[in-house]
Amino acid sequence: MSELLADYFPLVVFIGVALAISLALMIAPFIVAYKNPDPEKLSAYECGFNAFDDARMKFDVRFYLVAILFIIFDLEVAFLFPWAITFGELGFFGFWSMMVFLAVLTIGFIYEWKKGALEWD
Amino acid sequence: MNPATLPPLVPALPELMLALGAMALLMFGVFRGPRFVHVISGLAIALLLLAAVMVVYLPGGTLTTFGGSFVVDDFARFMKVLALVGSAAAIALSTDYFDSLREQRFEYPILIVLSTIGMMMLISAADLIALYLGLETMSLVLYVLAAIHRTSVRSSEAGLKYFVLGALSSGMLLYGASLVYGFTGTVSFSGIARATAEQTSMGLLFGLVFLFAGFCFKVSAVPFHMWTPDVYEGAPTPVTAFFASAPKVAGIAMFIRGAIDAFPDIAPQWQQIVGFVAIASMLLGSFAAIGQRNFKRLMAYSSIGHMGFALIGLAAGTEEGVRGVLIYTAIYVAMTLGTFAVILSMRRKVGYVEDIGDLSGLARTHPALAFFLAVLLFSLAGIPPLAGFFAKFYVFLAAIKAGLYALAVIGVLASVVAAYYYLAIVKIMYFDEAGEGFEPMSAELKVVLGLAGLINLLFFVYPSPLLETATSAARSLF
Amino acid sequence: MYQAIVLLPLLGAILAGIIAIAGARARHPGGSPAPGAENHADNAHAGGHGAGASALHADIAHASSHHAADGHGHAAEPPAQGSRAAELITSTLLVISAILSWIAFVRIGFQQEDMRVALFPWIVSGELQVDWALRIDSLTAVMLVVVTTVSALVHIYSIGYMAEDPHRPRFFAYLSLFTFAMLALVTSDNLAQLFFGWEGVGLASYLLIGFWYQRPSANAAAIKAFIVNRVGDFGFALGIFALFALTSSINFDAVFAEGPVLANKTMHFLSWEASALTLVCILLFMGAMGKSAQFLLHTWLPDAMEGPTPVSALIHAATMVTAGVFMVARLSPLFEYSPTALAVVTFFGATTAFFAATVGLVQNDIKRIIAYSTCSQLGYMFVAMGVGAYSVGMFHLFTHAFFKALLFLGSGSVILAMHHEQDIRLMGGLKDKIPVTYWMMVIGTLALTGFPLTAGYFSKDAIIEAAYAGKNPMAVYGFGLTLIAAALTSFYSWRLVFKTFHGAPHDRHHYEHAKESPAVMLVPLALLAVGSLAAGLMFRDIFTGHGVAEFFRDSLKFAEGNHVLEDMHHVPTFVALLPTVMMLIGFAVAYDFYLRRPEAPVRLAEQHALLYRFLLNKWYFDELYEVLFVRPALRLGRLLWKGGDGYVIDGFGPDGVSARVIDVTRGVVRLQTGYLYHYAFAMLIGVAALITWFMFGGAH
Repeated sequence: MSELLADYFPLVVFIGVALAISLALMIAPFIVAYKNPDPEKLSAYECGFNAFDDARMKFDVRFYLVAILFIIFDLEVAFLFPWAITFGELGFFGFWSMMVFLAVLTIGFIYEWKKGALEWD
Repeated sequence: MNPATLPPLVPALPELMLALGAMALLMFGVFRGPRFVHVISGLAIALLLLAAVMVVYLPGGTLTTFGGSFVVDDFARFMKVLALVGSAAAIALSTDYFDSLREQRFEYPILIVLSTIGMMMLISAADLIALYLGLETMSLVLYVLAAIHRTSVRSSEAGLKYFVLGALSSGMLLYGASLVYGFTGTVSFSGIARATAEQTSMGLLFGLVFLFAGFCFKVSAVPFHMWTPDVYEGAPTPVTAFFASAPKVAGIAMFIRGAIDAFPDIAPQWQQIVGFVAIASMLLGSFAAIGQRNFKRLMAYSSIGHMGFALIGLAAGTEEGVRGVLIYTAIYVAMTLGTFAVILSMRRKVGYVEDIGDLSGLARTHPALAFFLAVLLFSLAGIPPLAGFFAKFYVFLAAIKAGLYALAVIGVLASVVAAYYYLAIVKIMYFDEAGEGFEPMSAELKVVLGLAGLINLLFFVYPSPLLETATSAARSLF
Repeated sequence: MYQAIVLLPLLGAILAGIIAIAGARARHPGGSPAPGAENHADNAHAGGHGAGASALHADIAHASSHHAADGHGHAAEPPAQGSRAAELITSTLLVISAILSWIAFVRIGFQQEDMRVALFPWIVSGELQVDWALRIDSLTAVMLVVVTTVSALVHIYSIGYMAEDPHRPRFFAYLSLFTFAMLALVTSDNLAQLFFGWEGVGLASYLLIGFWYQRPSANAAAIKAFIVNRVGDFGFALGIFALFALTSSINFDAVFAEGPVLANKTMHFLSWEASALTLVCILLFMGAMGKSAQFLLHTWLPDAMEGPTPVSALIHAATMVTAGVFMVARLSPLFEYSPTALAVVTFFGATTAFFAATVGLVQNDIKRIIAYSTCSQLGYMFVAMGVGAYSVGMFHLFTHAFFKALLFLGSGSVILAMHHEQDIRLMGGLKDKIPVTYWMMVIGTLALTGFPLTAGYFSKDAIIEAAYAGKNPMAVYGFGLTLIAAALTSFYSWRLVFKTFHGAPHDRHHYEHAKESPAVMLVPLALLAVGSLAAGLMFRDIFTGHGVAEFFRDSLKFAEGNHVLEDMHHVPTFVALLPTVMMLIGFAVAYDFYLRRPEAPVRLAEQHALLYRFLLNKWYFDELYEVLFVRPALRLGRLLWKGGDGYVIDGFGPDGVSARVIDVTRGVVRLQTGYLYHYAFAMLIGVAALITWFMFGGAH
């Protein structure tokens, strides 16, 4: 059991460091930052929603579409990272597997493009 | 680490062909527009039937690929052909419906093809990851299909309910799979089988329960059936027809392979689960359907009940039981598709009607339609010499031989109760005052209905093809 | 030849039946194949309700309420096609059968050709072996003659009487069917065959009483006849079973051979030990009581007059009702060894003779008077049987068939002349309008009352003498009551004649239109009249005299000590004269009451109102049975229907199950709320339940 715990020790160190840094970063602004609030600065970010409001309000369905499309390509990129790292060892088959994957993804991309999903209006 | 090499692709050839075909159709559709919906539907049907032919003509015996996670044996062939034919029929049933509602979408047949790919993966899956992959490929499409009628509130509601509950069941299944993996150290069915043969722990049983909960959800077995009536009623009728046929085939296949291949040595345990679920499904399906006025909803309960009957065979846990399930599933698909063909022809000038009362006096207004529906209903009720009788006969026989007398007796009693609502419809058709007639049927509906009716009517004349293939399919699992 | 006698009527019945069915089809094209049968069922149902009600009604209302319907109700309906053919076929076959019977009578009786005609094996089961065979001996021959002759004459008579009825083919089919069953009965060689004929005549009687099935009263009467007969038949069947249990056979020869042995045996019955033979005989006699309308089981006979009059003549006077008498005669080898049983027979016979005669005194329906007369005369026959004078009883059966059929057919002629009026109070003075019928009725009455040298004189007086000479304990009782009954018989018979044919007409309208019946009805009357006058004198010797032993030979059994036939010829002279004196007294009173002083009977009735009502209501038997049997049976039936069938079986059976199914359905459907979280909750519950199951004891 202790061996198991020992294995996880670096993780604990990592979490500890991460906590320390994030806390430091959150506390530092309160101490050092220059404060000059105005209404525009305090309003919600970008999308036109109030940050603290009823979550069940209506908003444009196109946001969903964008979000979903974003997730798809986001995951695609996440999938590409390990592939890229081990690319040297994967060889011919490994390369073409990813090419097929990208081709399929491209077909989906073409479809959504043609359907007009990428146009805001 | 050795570089990965190309695995043999021949066993998965039909799936690959379908995938490429689906993408090609997608491109065709998106560039040529919805004017070619019928062409795409026809091509999709052709694709599915071609895949069925390919499945049949794959090299014989048991083929494995993708590191043993993909198996093509006689069982897989049987179920795949069934699923492919069911999907093709579902597409055929849909064209007329969407035409009359002016809701033609070229994505519909493509989605069904994609879903079918998922089913085929599911049917061939020989480890938990492949199983999950296939299941989700199939299910994601089903969620979309349930809500494909975007402007209809009920359709959207059906899609949402199905999605949420499907996600819950997938979660359960995944949780169960992780428990099984945790306690056996492997995800492959053969590995799990080896591990359980050595020792069984309570944790593994927990995993089994969660895994089976996921399975039960897909075949809509009680108590994981709750989505079925709402989704069947809310979804567009051709989608319901599809839900009731091919995905059920895939679900049953997954259930059987999961139970028989992965847990052969703890069969007494999962037999209890399956037995309980079968009884609950039969009873609920029989009793709840009596109170229904909506034909689609009634068919939802009917399919719950029928899945219960089919699971009797699995509960027996024997080769004969599996054979019974296979026969049952095949006949069930024929009965269900035929019945939905009738529901889809219940169209008046004002639009589609779904109430059982709308069938009153059908024997006078549409004698042929009434006759075929009567045949199908008698078959669903299990009245000899129609096919539905033999379906029940083989599973009950297997249950008796396996010593599950209580299960068989409850099954027979439940089928008596179920007979009531099937016969009630026949009574409405033949003895009630004739109502307004329906619009003429399309050719596709006629073909599907005619084939289904004749299969049910004449099965007893020449049953050997189905019986023999089912026998060899069941044998390949043991 | 014997096969022909028995089977020709069956052939006639089948042919007429086919014509009737074809006619029914033709008349109701597209309808159900047997509309008649349907109506039967419906009306029988209605009749069931009517049965209770009709028994409550006084007789007058009963008789007058439907006299008008006698054949008139169908005037609008066209007669069935082939009616003529059916009449001719059945009548011809019956006439042939009758002629053959007379030939057979001579051959068997006088040339002594006893025989068994084996037809085919019927039942073989373990020890039980029953063959269809015709037992041809003198007893059979007498019955053959009576049955076929009367039946043939009734067939012919019916051609005229039923001329207005639209359902003639059915009527003639029933008549011939009856004749066949009766012949099967009298030719039977074993008890099973006897029982077949017994039930066959019962069926034909039921069908014919209810022939006018549109009338509730006819249906009620038919059902009553059938049910009352069932009571008797129950005893009869038990008797057969007991005999089989004792002797392992029901063939007459085998059973008769056991007779003396059985007399010394005992058997258990209802927890007491009884003499086997006495028990068997009394049980069998119960059947005879039912069929021959003896006291206690007589109530169906007067009601049976609902049937067409020829039916009354054939079935309820001449033939079927005498089946009981025939049965006792046939089983004389058994009865002869059981004095107790014979005493019982005598008692019931004498009681019936007296009882029926008293009721007959005050009845007003012409057919009912004759019906009670029949009942009374049957009592006479049983008295003769009871005292061991079997041949004498058979003699009375033989002569009675002629004069009673004559009276019935004559009354039918009167009824037809009066346009289906049956109440004698509304008749009168018909002597001049229908003289032939009048004379026929007078001849019949003379024979019935025993006017010297007529048929009844020889047979009835012989019975009274035999009762006097009889040795059994009931013989004196029998003698006394039959003697009184003789006077009563004379009174009510002459009353009938006087009120019908003499005096002033009471119903002018009917009287004016009365006219003589056609020849086809009068010729049978004439033939029967000849029989009524001559049959006694001609056949006296072979039934009561020294010819008995030679004529009947083995068919009747007279035990060693039975000298009644001998003794009856040596009774004191006053005994021989008494019946005639009684007859004259009865005639004189009737003459005085109804011709000289018509107001006298009314006054007498007023003076003895209680007695009068008692008699008019037939000793209140219908009311008694109503209270004792009908109402409790209805109450029991209602209890079993409402409580047993409706509440218990339906409630917990089909209705209950379906109601529970609906309940379950309702509950299950309510589970389907439509709320997503309920559904998810159900899934979680399911998983939790399964896991709990495995945690606590489920895992193997």
